Amino acid sequence: MRALVGFLGPRLFRALVALWLVSTVVFVVMRLSGDPVPLLVPPDAPRSEYERVAKDLGLDRPLPVQYAVFIGNVLRGDFGRSIHFRQPAWRVVMGYLPATAELALAAFGLALLVAVPVGLLSAVKRNSPIDHVTMGVALIGQSAPTFFLGILFILLFSLKANWFPTSGRGGWEHLVLPALTLGAFAMASIARLTRSAVLEVLRQDYVRTARAKGVPELAVVVKHTLKNAALPVVTITALQFGTLLGGAVVTETVFAWPGIGRLAIQSIYNRDYPVVQCTVFLSALVFIIVNFVVEVIYGFLDPRVRPR
Amino acid sequence: MASSTPASVPAEVIAAVTEPAGGGAGARRTRRLVAAGLGFVLAVAIVALAAPWISPQDPTRQSLRGRLAAPTLQGADGRAHVLGTDHLGRDVLSRVIWGARVSLLVGFAAVVVGGLIGATLGILAGYRGGWLDSAIMTLADAQLAFPFILLAIGIIAVLGPSFPTLILVIGLSGWMSYARVLRSQVLVLRSREFVDAIHALGGSAGRIVARHILPNVMSSLVVIATLELARSIVLEATLSFLGLGVQPPTPSWGGMVQEGREYLDSAWWISTYPGLVLMLTSLVVSRTGDWLRDLLDPTLRGE
Amino acid sequence: MSQVTRRELLKGAATLGAAAAVAPALGSTAQAQTTQKREFIIAQGGDIAFFDPHMSTSANEIRVSFNVFDNLISRHPDGKLHPSVATEWKLQGQTTWVFKLRSGVKFHNGDPLTSADVKYSLERSWDPALKTRVNTVFTTIDKVEAPDPMTVVIHTKKPDPLLPARLAFYGGQILPEKAAKAAGPEAFNLKPVGSGPLRFVSWTKDDKAVLEANPDYWGGKIDVDRVIFRPIPETAPRVAAVLKGEVDMITALPPDHIERVTGNATTKLGSALYAGLYVLAVNSKVKPLDNPLVKQALSLAIDREAIVKELWRGRGIVPNGPIAKGDNHFDTALPPLKFDPKEARAKLQQAGYKNEEIVIETTVGYTTNDKPMSEAIHGMWRDAGINAKVEVVEYSVRAQKNRDKSFKGLWWSDPTSTLSDPDGMMWRLLSPGGPQDYWRNAKFDELGEAARFSVDEKFRGQAYKEMTKIFMENWPWIVVIQPYEDYGLQKYVEFTPNPNQQIELRRFNFKLKRT
Repeated sequence: MRALVGFLGPRLFRALVALWLVSTVVFVVMRLSGDPVPLLVPPDAPRSEYERVAKDLGLDRPLPVQYAVFIGNVLRGDFGRSIHFRQPAWRVVMGYLPATAELALAAFGLALLVAVPVGLLSAVKRNSPIDHVTMGVALIGQSAPTFFLGILFILLFSLKANWFPTSGRGGWEHLVLPALTLGAFAMASIARLTRSAVLEVLRQDYVRTARAKGVPELAVVVKHTLKNAALPVVTITALQFGTLLGGAVVTETVFAWPGIGRLAIQSIYNRDYPVVQCTVFLSALVFIIVNFVVEVIYGFLDPRVRPR
Repeated sequence: MASSTPASVPAEVIAAVTEPAGGGAGARRTRRLVAAGLGFVLAVAIVALAAPWISPQDPTRQSLRGRLAAPTLQGADGRAHVLGTDHLGRDVLSRVIWGARVSLLVGFAAVVVGGLIGATLGILAGYRGGWLDSAIMTLADAQLAFPFILLAIGIIAVLGPSFPTLILVIGLSGWMSYARVLRSQVLVLRSREFVDAIHALGGSAGRIVARHILPNVMSSLVVIATLELARSIVLEATLSFLGLGVQPPTPSWGGMVQEGREYLDSAWWISTYPGLVLMLTSLVVSRTGDWLRDLLDPTLRGE
Repeated sequence: MSQVTRRELLKGAATLGAAAAVAPALGSTAQAQTTQKREFIIAQGGDIAFFDPHMSTSANEIRVSFNVFDNLISRHPDGKLHPSVATEWKLQGQTTWVFKLRSGVKFHNGDPLTSADVKYSLERSWDPALKTRVNTVFTTIDKVEAPDPMTVVIHTKKPDPLLPARLAFYGGQILPEKAAKAAGPEAFNLKPVGSGPLRFVSWTKDDKAVLEANPDYWGGKIDVDRVIFRPIPETAPRVAAVLKGEVDMITALPPDHIERVTGNATTKLGSALYAGLYVLAVNSKVKPLDNPLVKQALSLAIDREAIVKELWRGRGIVPNGPIAKGDNHFDTALPPLKFDPKEARAKLQQAGYKNEEIVIETTVGYTTNDKPMSEAIHGMWRDAGINAKVEVVEYSVRAQKNRDKSFKGLWWSDPTSTLSDPDGMMWRLLSPGGPQDYWRNAKFDELGEAARFSVDEKFRGQAYKEMTKIFMENWPWIVVIQPYEDYGLQKYVEFTPNPNQQIELRRFNFKLKRT
């Protein structure tokens, strides 16, 4: 038990610090440009609205008090009223969250579905043409900028080949290209990792023993690698899920996917700062929660830390 | 897209992700690859620097008559447009060349900014230890655990897009790697007696940094800087694509991809060529960084 | 109906056509020209910000509001005024107009439409507390009376021959007094109630606005059951949507993409010469735009011919002044606006121009070709020695700046000639207190006021000639082009675009070719 607490304690602390850090940066940046009130109300708002918001933010009080008020608001989920949508910012952001969740899960699922078997295959057929080709593609997937990947996919698979729609959210056919774009980096990373992990396992003695006993290659691979490679693969894979959120901003913009990434960008163009604040914070929250959960799971799986 | 793995994940796991494909090659082969990679970077840098002389045309010169022209040797304005023209008749090749300037300028500057910030924080953390060390390292882990692009766009949204803001933001996105390396080096040295000895002999902290810390971390810094350069170039292109980076009419690879979006089906060259050049540059630079790491400092796999 | 079903339908139809051994091209395209659809989808270049017809005059909104609401009089795509809610109208004396209302007209909530609603709507348009966008449309009206439920009497301050035309355009939509008062402006804006052929159902911002056909519409239920307005701001996806059959009509089709629509088997082009102008409106309060010589230079430095020929592929006219072709008193004697960069430089020198920055704040896709024109003009101005800069702003920011009057320099505007008369465009927008009041000139104001109330067309013509001269010395707008406004349509849509940007869906103008 002590090991578990010792493991989780600092990680929880780090998660909270990250959240605090994000809120503080938001607070500082908003104040940097002078009076934040004009950023938070529509320009045709009556004087009374200005004053109400100013009072809510505690602008007549000293800066540390303002900061406390701000943090208090954040903890309550109060990010102000969206100028563009004329609703509480929190509600607006929540409305767009499902679309991003759908995209992220699809990207993630696709990445796993393709990467794990491909990695496995590459490892088993080590140094063959298949191996070289797939690893080459993986390299490109890891270093290609997401936005250009999306543009290329649209050009090749939507405009030229006419297999998929160019943008928007709808049936499954609308999901394919965006999921592929968003998941490309994760797919490439997981494929490479799987390959390495499997290679590592294949090197082990017990594998050679099994081979000597005449057990077929595939059975060897499946039985032993899946058990031993699972841990690192699962960990890295789950961590990639968090990274997807950053890539979502770009992917959603390229494909006009109505999720919170696109919302964040549109809100910036619209100068709708309540929504910008809220999306930044919410994304950080989701990301940090996912990471934390992964670390907890890892803690349970890693025999060094597992509670007895 | 940088790797953003928190420190808790064991090194073996991370090593496996970043292991070079195709098995480990001999050091000699790796050296040749590094040379080729660095040569490529040098070539791009030369092209960027020489842009005013080697660019066939002024990248902002419009020619409405020759707009949206496919690659041709005889354009409507009588000039050759080897990569075609964009929606205002501007020569795509010239813009790609000048775009290299922007990408490398911002990329290198951001690397320097990030390096300075990171090195300073890392040395401070290692030297002072205690709560400052914990604070800085927690900050680093926290930032690693966060999709920075959101913060970047938030900051640029309020402050407005400009070159200094862009460089600062991109630099800030990557200080962590430098900090970690510098910090460990400082810790290593601190545990040795000679630091105390130098202090006793009246040597200053600055001297210690310059003579004993930096030379040892130089190779690690080179590796990190190379990888960070690739990442910075891509981040600048992404921000420009979103309209938050380099502002028109200054050509930038990301901005050109954005401009060509509307004409993908008719004038695909406007988006495709800058994007391919970007992809190639990112690929070569990051691979060079990988090979450098294999060559100089495999312990850096954790980054 | 899902897109898959439609594709299958078209595929099936095409195969049938071919198999029928009719001349293949004719067979398959003929089949693709009909439909069974009961839902009609329109993709615009921007979302709808206001459903309250008094709160916005931009194209995206009026396309909806003219179908949700009725006016007393309607201007059809043929350019003529036709009775709508008013069955007849008469001028009594010089300043009194009597309108007889149609009986049996009901609002969407069941309330009958009476003269009280007309009176309320007109008075609401200039209510200072509401800060409407149409507060200067009816400045000629002195008083509105509703002597009986089917009669409206309007007294104008001075003789106003254009009153019927004014009532036909924005500002003249009729709102239900009871429902609008009960809801209040904010709620009414989110759930509008009118008497028109379309009834509001729902609106999801940045996604779609859903309207359904009003089955009891006095003009007859329109040809479909539902109409959906979707915003697709980016051009390429919007055009792709109509090419692939995902939507039935798109607006703001840029000239660069026309060939895609005309070359596609299932789509066609709809066009109308815009009854208005595309201009760079000027905030003449900002230096150095307060100097007429600078503005003259700005106008001289623009190569409008090249813009029309290249950026618009010839689909437009180089204007000759602030009056649109097709309007009364359009001066055919005036030459197209001049392009002379040398003279522009001379003017700049004369003005003592010290290289101050001149900013164009452009939207992207709100006004067709806005960004490309901004960039082209930026290049032209720089060539003439002007320190020009282009900044991109989102439509909502532009709307804010419009209300705020806080533009940094120039911005795109597409003033509509609402009355087919200079009074409805040049004077309405540039008059004191009007939506674009950034510049004043005593003679200009005097002439505008006089011409508005004169019934002597000769006098008016002369007045507008003089106003044009003053305009072209001071350039409160830098007039750029009078373009053709193009729509992409599925071939089964039978519809005539209206030069004033309305999308008229009533039975007399809109029908789908049915299988």
